[in-house]
Amino acid sequence: MSGKSGFWAIVKRESSRMYSRPLYGLSMVFAPLFCFIFFTTLMKEGLPESLPAGVVDEDNTAVSRSIIRNLDSYQQTEIVRQYSNFAEAREAMQRNEIYGFFYIPKGTQDKASSQEQPKISIYTNATYLIPSSLLYRDMKTMAVMASAAVGREVLTARGANMDQAMGFLQPIKMDLHALGNPWLNYNVYLSNTMLPAVLVLMVLMVTCFSVHCELKDGTAKEWMEMAGDNVLKAVSAKLFPQTVVFSFMALVYIVILYGYLGFPANNGLWPMLLAAQLLILASQGFAVFIASAIPSLRWSLSLCTLWGVLSIPISGFSFPVMGMPEALQALSYLFPLRYYFLIYVDQALNGIPMVYSAWFYTALVAFLILPLVDISLLRKAAHEYTYLP
Amino acid sequence: MWIKDLLDVCGKELRKTVSDVGVLVFFIVVPLLYPLLYAYLYGREVVHEVPVVAVDDCRSTTSREFLRKSDATPDLRIISYCSDMEEARNLLHRHKAYGVIYIPSDLDHTLEEGRQATINLYCDMSGLLYYKAMLSGCTMVSLEMNRNIQMVRLSGMSDREKEVMTMPIENEYVTMFNPTNGFQGFLIPAVLILVLQQTLVLGVAMMAGTEEERRRRGELVLGHEYDNPITVLGGKALAYLLVYGLTASYVLCVVPWLFHMPQLWKLPTLVTFVIPFLLASIFFAISISFFVRDRESCFLLFVFVSVPLIFMSGISWPTSNMPAFWRVFAQIFPSTQGVNGFARINTTGALLQDVRYELIALWIQTAVYFMISLFIYERLYRSDKMPGIEFVLAMRARARRNVRVAVRDIRSDIEEAAERIRGRRKK
Repeated sequence: MSGKSGFWAIVKRESSRMYSRPLYGLSMVFAPLFCFIFFTTLMKEGLPESLPAGVVDEDNTAVSRSIIRNLDSYQQTEIVRQYSNFAEAREAMQRNEIYGFFYIPKGTQDKASSQEQPKISIYTNATYLIPSSLLYRDMKTMAVMASAAVGREVLTARGANMDQAMGFLQPIKMDLHALGNPWLNYNVYLSNTMLPAVLVLMVLMVTCFSVHCELKDGTAKEWMEMAGDNVLKAVSAKLFPQTVVFSFMALVYIVILYGYLGFPANNGLWPMLLAAQLLILASQGFAVFIASAIPSLRWSLSLCTLWGVLSIPISGFSFPVMGMPEALQALSYLFPLRYYFLIYVDQALNGIPMVYSAWFYTALVAFLILPLVDISLLRKAAHEYTYLP
Repeated sequence: MWIKDLLDVCGKELRKTVSDVGVLVFFIVVPLLYPLLYAYLYGREVVHEVPVVAVDDCRSTTSREFLRKSDATPDLRIISYCSDMEEARNLLHRHKAYGVIYIPSDLDHTLEEGRQATINLYCDMSGLLYYKAMLSGCTMVSLEMNRNIQMVRLSGMSDREKEVMTMPIENEYVTMFNPTNGFQGFLIPAVLILVLQQTLVLGVAMMAGTEEERRRRGELVLGHEYDNPITVLGGKALAYLLVYGLTASYVLCVVPWLFHMPQLWKLPTLVTFVIPFLLASIFFAISISFFVRDRESCFLLFVFVSVPLIFMSGISWPTSNMPAFWRVFAQIFPSTQGVNGFARINTTGALLQDVRYELIALWIQTAVYFMISLFIYERLYRSDKMPGIEFVLAMRARARRNVRVAVRDIRSDIEEAAERIRGRRKK
């Protein structure tokens, strides 16, 4: 190796290192690809359909049967069984056979026709939040409609037409428009952040691992010499082949999401491609920053891992950042994925002018140049470091 | 004899665990702190006071009442009244607000005519919780206002009559088992179980990686001085079970208690369920730890798995709607059963018979992973990768000889083997 030096020599050296260890292939290609396929196929329905639900019909009359029939016709609800009493339905819920049930007490029809205002109840198992919320929506609509059906009968009997009846039963109606994702598609909602999140996790770990492996294996001196003791050159040349592979993986998920699955990309592909590329570079920059700051493979790798895993909840795509404690809200600024998520919302989901996202792009660039602060420590470590398990 | 070996291995494994900071971090520190971080993160359960903007083209008493009442709900907060949609959109784009309430100019007019009036809501879909907050906030207000409007229209009837007219059948909604219907109550049980399984996998894999490194360097490893791979495997598993008995009682009992989450379990149920879960996880961890070639590669190989695993458990996207392939695939991980069982025992107060399926599956997993790890151990014993190959050959020779003589001979064989290893290392 002594004869060769310079940027491309290090690139070549790193490429053969990557090629010779299956670990790199597993973590740079297999792991992200597995997750890409997993998430996009797992939720391919978009919005869960035919969720198993039950009914306790103690009334067993024309009214209660019509409620059950109508509920079953909703796309998201499937009445799998009728239970004879409340306890039985609750136990079925504890066994996870149903996510919720409708309880129609005895005398519902009699009370309704004698205008005594009966009460029907909706129970859902909120341990499973998504099916519970979706079932609630169907059941609630059904309950209101059942009520309206009775009300309509009374009104039409008094001579009102349909329009007037609805105008009376529900004078003000809500019309809720979901901007950018009108289908309430969970795949759009989750995969758009989950796929880059997995990639970020792998970039952080692989970058930190490969830099520190030079120190652990005692090859760091050779590496520095090849770069003429220029640590910036050494690191950028070493990470270049990884950048190429990870950028290709980013391209893969972008093609899957916006090409194959046709998820909304309202400003076209370029803003997202730019964001994904910057996300890769920002994560590499952040990992180098950590790797230089902490001169222990295990500790710096632990921190990178923690950052990668934590970036999933803290990016705020499932539980909004504004709902978190203030300390964590402040912390969220330190995660590259957070900025990527904000760019995605602006550029892909809402399709607003890029100038609104300028700051988020800039923040990602800032992560890229972050290592300039402490990379000299890495050079020092390369000359003096000894590995401790 | 074997019980002494078992306890011996167990003791050595425990000492090894305590003396390895890397493993201790996985076995103790991560389970200690990580769940607290998550519980803290989701501590507020739901989002309150989602900032929205109002565009009121009607400017009547009714429209103002609607906006005032929306602002007063716990779900929404009106941060600005805009003159037109353009201005409102601008606030959405700058992430100052997450929704728009638009009241058309003909609201009063339509109501006076007795027809149905529409209020338009626009919601930013970057988070489904914004959508949920807007839907529930505005629906609550509209239901209340609708009622009042009807009451006025029905003037002349008695109050009771009016009530019956406006809502012939009442309905009520009960979210069972997770009373605040929030994130903490639904996600934390899954996170807790996953933390247990994944830290076990990482810690065990790190130890295996360290052993593999030492083996490559030609140093001895624990295990070669005992007669039977089963005792080695059993001793290790016992050591992990002892450590994780403590870890699990903290993670599964103390953490939910600290954060005032529902805890409806009965102790015998919980213990009967958690033991097979831990055993399955331990043998699962041992089985896959053989893929690890060095100390730190466990991070790269196993951490990312947590992300799909939490979804495979069906706590988020419902199991009933997963493609069949993933539903079957999920069955090979103890966490799938662990999450489903624990979530129901802890949060819904399910009894053993309610989690029968999960319990049986966990015992099957325990058996299968035990067999797999035993198989690999046996091979490792016989392979020449082990520096103790001379010992294995000696053992085989012993088996061929008379058993009675063997008991006496074995000691000298081991001595001899050890001598040879020492000699080789000197070289």
